[in-house]
Amino acid sequence: MELRQRYEEDLFLVRGAAAWLATAALLAALAFFPFYTPRYLLFPGILVAINVVVAVGLNVLTGLTGQISLGHAGFVAIGAYTATLLAARLGVPWWLAWPAAGLTAAAFGFLVGLPALRLTGPYLTIATLGFGIAVHQVLTNWEALSGGRMGLAVPRVTFGPAALTSDQRLYYLAMATAVLLTWAAANLGRSHVGRAFVAVRDSDIAAEVMGVNLTWYKTLAFAVSAFYAGIGGALFAQALRHLEPQSFDLLQSIYYFSMIVLGGLGTVPGAVLGAGVLTVLPGFLSGFREWLPVIFGVAIILMMVLEPRGLYGRWLRVRRYFKTWPL
Amino acid sequence: MDAEKSGAIADKGGEATMRYARVFGLVLILAALLFPATAGVAQERGITPTEIIIGSTVPLSGPAAYWGLGVGRGIDAYLKSINDAGGIHGRKFRTVLLDDSYLPPRAAVNVRELVERHNVFAIVGMIGTANAFAARDYIIESKTLWITPTTNDIWAGLREKKYLFVTYPSYLNEGRILTQYAAEKLGTKKMAVFYQNDEYGLGLLRGVKYGVGAAKGVKLVGQASYEVTDADVSAQAVKLRQSGADTVFIAATPTQGALIVREMAKLGWRPQLLATFTLGDPIMFRLAGEAWNDIYLTAYFPLPGSGDNKIEETLGTLFRYDAALRGSPYNALAGVSFIEPLVEALRRVGPDVTKDKVVAAMESLRNWDGAVARGVTFGKDRHQGLNRIYIVKASNGQYVKITDWISYQTSF
Amino acid sequence: MVDLAQFLVGGLAAGTLYGLVALGIVLLYRSSRVLNFAHGDVATLGAFLAFTLLVGLNWPFAPSVVASLIGTAAAGALFYFVVLRPVKEATLLGRIVVTLGLALTLSGANTLAFGADTKVFPFPLSDIRVYRLSGVVISQLSLGLSAAGVILMALLYLLVQRTRIGLAMRAVSQDLVAAQALGIPSRRIFALTWALAGALAAAAGILAAPVTLLTPFMMLDPFLKGFAAAVLGGMDSMPGAVLGGWLLGVMESLFAGYISVKFKTTLAFLIIILTLMVRPEGLLGREFHRRV
Repeated sequence: MELRQRYEEDLFLVRGAAAWLATAALLAALAFFPFYTPRYLLFPGILVAINVVVAVGLNVLTGLTGQISLGHAGFVAIGAYTATLLAARLGVPWWLAWPAAGLTAAAFGFLVGLPALRLTGPYLTIATLGFGIAVHQVLTNWEALSGGRMGLAVPRVTFGPAALTSDQRLYYLAMATAVLLTWAAANLGRSHVGRAFVAVRDSDIAAEVMGVNLTWYKTLAFAVSAFYAGIGGALFAQALRHLEPQSFDLLQSIYYFSMIVLGGLGTVPGAVLGAGVLTVLPGFLSGFREWLPVIFGVAIILMMVLEPRGLYGRWLRVRRYFKTWPL
Repeated sequence: MDAEKSGAIADKGGEATMRYARVFGLVLILAALLFPATAGVAQERGITPTEIIIGSTVPLSGPAAYWGLGVGRGIDAYLKSINDAGGIHGRKFRTVLLDDSYLPPRAAVNVRELVERHNVFAIVGMIGTANAFAARDYIIESKTLWITPTTNDIWAGLREKKYLFVTYPSYLNEGRILTQYAAEKLGTKKMAVFYQNDEYGLGLLRGVKYGVGAAKGVKLVGQASYEVTDADVSAQAVKLRQSGADTVFIAATPTQGALIVREMAKLGWRPQLLATFTLGDPIMFRLAGEAWNDIYLTAYFPLPGSGDNKIEETLGTLFRYDAALRGSPYNALAGVSFIEPLVEALRRVGPDVTKDKVVAAMESLRNWDGAVARGVTFGKDRHQGLNRIYIVKASNGQYVKITDWISYQTSF
Repeated sequence: MVDLAQFLVGGLAAGTLYGLVALGIVLLYRSSRVLNFAHGDVATLGAFLAFTLLVGLNWPFAPSVVASLIGTAAAGALFYFVVLRPVKEATLLGRIVVTLGLALTLSGANTLAFGADTKVFPFPLSDIRVYRLSGVVISQLSLGLSAAGVILMALLYLLVQRTRIGLAMRAVSQDLVAAQALGIPSRRIFALTWALAGALAAAAGILAAPVTLLTPFMMLDPFLKGFAAAVLGGMDSMPGAVLGGWLLGVMESLFAGYISVKFKTTLAFLIIILTLMVRPEGLLGREFHRRV
């Protein structure tokens, strides 16, 4: 990791001309993405943006605060269904329904955070996993609310210039949300809240001795993380335009978890990288037919074996190497 | 100092933007040059002078792989056999088969890839209602020809159906017909249903409810569901026995269908059994054992082992092209039944293929018998091609046909 | 009453399987704090190996099972040496993700190698021959499988608690550095634990397959339930794993029978979470001793 020695160095997210240039280039690349890539890559681009939102949120919980969640698909589902139900049944406009979806998910996150006060490790894993299963079964069987396995049609959101296709408009909306929320998460890590999260992760007892209110910060981490998941869910609903509980099962939670670990736990760029790689890879491999799970699984193992600190860790090493090159 | 720095940055940033704008400009021009070039070759997407490109996304991995592998590879093997027999008017089929692991988002990605990258002429299949729904809007909007088994019970409310063709019987009507048959001929008074807790099982449950309402003197006394990953259904067996039913309808996959029959046999409880056509798989005699005898099922094509020559011939061909299909003969045949009408329509169209001509040819199919699918009828206002089933009885490891075709009203 | 007893019998039979799976998970967790998500797929692999020998090569039953156990044990040890050992730099969560990758690979490989179709696993005991006890039915097969499960659990307990190898395993799990200082070959002990967990998984798979029918995905649900059972009983307690398995099996069966089939898993998890609120270390787990 990069060492920051003075507080002033931590004041800026982006430092130095090269970093600014890289950031600007990245943003420009994202902004023009629909115009220079083949069309079939646009939809995966939308999914990447959505999963980035969820993964960055999960990173706040698992990476910063050290709480494992294998029920995150449950929060995504709550966000997706809240946004859709508000729009479909009550006619709430999307720009109101989506934040409401995030807040509803956050409220559930707060509730799930309560058992987390007493549980750690595998015990917390099972508690969150149980939450995920409960959400899935409720959505499957409460047909009056969710449409059950028959599913729920998602009203299409209309906005932006008519010259763009609906996928392109959704891409910009999803990508803008992802960039905004990623920026917010990066800032959160530097704030006193983020410091409190990290203190809880490193040793909750020591943190409490130092005056960090454990109850507040642990549940807050759950709520913030669930908020991200809820927003991701609202976007996901819009991308699929049809909701069905099967998209939010345990496997999905496991994927979210793998994203942040594979990318590099505890770092925002890591979560972004992990989400990108794990979202795009199966689509890339789908032509391998029956071999897909084998290749995908081996790829995951190899990435972890070759770079235990995640993809972002590898990037940092490469960069450090070139900093001192040719010495 | 800060101001100075940021000024410098802005300058460099401006330079960079310029450079990037130039790069992007180049990329745009390249893209503009490349794309019409690829699009211009064919007069119709997916039809080249030598090829017809057919795409499909099915679960080739994950818990639904049994279905997907059989259907997907069945389609693939069948089209290969047609290619080797000379193809269709000089063109050969190219099949693009993608794996979606039964996950809706992946199905949504895959159909876009099929249309925009592989330039397919038609999409065949789509297993799983959730996946079909996730892909539906895109396929309809891209005006891609779509031949799907996804049953017509879910297409109500869809406006644009011109390019959508359904080649599968309706679960709703199947459940109703079988229930009415049991009430009239088998003396059923109390029905119970064992069903998979998803659109497939629920559709059949609704059908049974219809049938119970239509037949006299029958009551639905019990229902027990399971999830597709369940490995233990012993509690469901006890519950069904508790209901006091004399007839149990099984709306399940082969695995859980066999499990529940075994559990009931274990309890020493032998109600009359009914089952949906997906359990017409000969594998059931091995999985459920002796308990599978005397069960009544529906069928929409002659079941393997029932003495239909065309079916046995087709199976032989499929096995020759893909030996792995021996493990799932029923699903492979189902795959063939999905695509057969399209192949026939392409034959009828002749060498000059356009999408609208194929649609017209499909709509001209009247009571058409293929190697597997029988009695396929499409029309201008009828894109649900199958509207009849018949009932078979399992005895001594074979399915025996006991009724003639029973037809029902199609909904579109 | 008869139905209640029948629900209990069904629940206990399922619970034995959960307990067996839970034991394998606990064994690994105790030694290295790794949650092995590939446990279920190793079990499936074991069942398929035995099936291939039995049906494909026409071996007799006992040698097929023994060969399958040895095979999966070797696979477990191999996985430790080839994959986990080199990743020693990885965090705990990193190692968990490695086991997730393994689970994906194995389930794909199982489908590729053995086919996705459902198979009947031949077993010397009959599923149809049943014993009746005042109306309650139990098949020869379930009785035999439950007995085999209990015997396996007892053997494992003796191995870990009463032998020198077991002592070494416990030492390594309690304090790795101290154990190494005392000259215990920790690497070999870890490999042995992985091998043992592999064999245990295969045993669970072979005992499950005759009842659940053999498919590449038959262990999805039992694995999840086994994991939950292990947590309910206490992740570091082997008797706890067995107790947790039986409790979970019976709870599910009763919920399915009397409350709701559709929500049985949710209800079971709800009970587990409530239990954990009272006993955060599981029913028989030892209390956390943490230093700041």
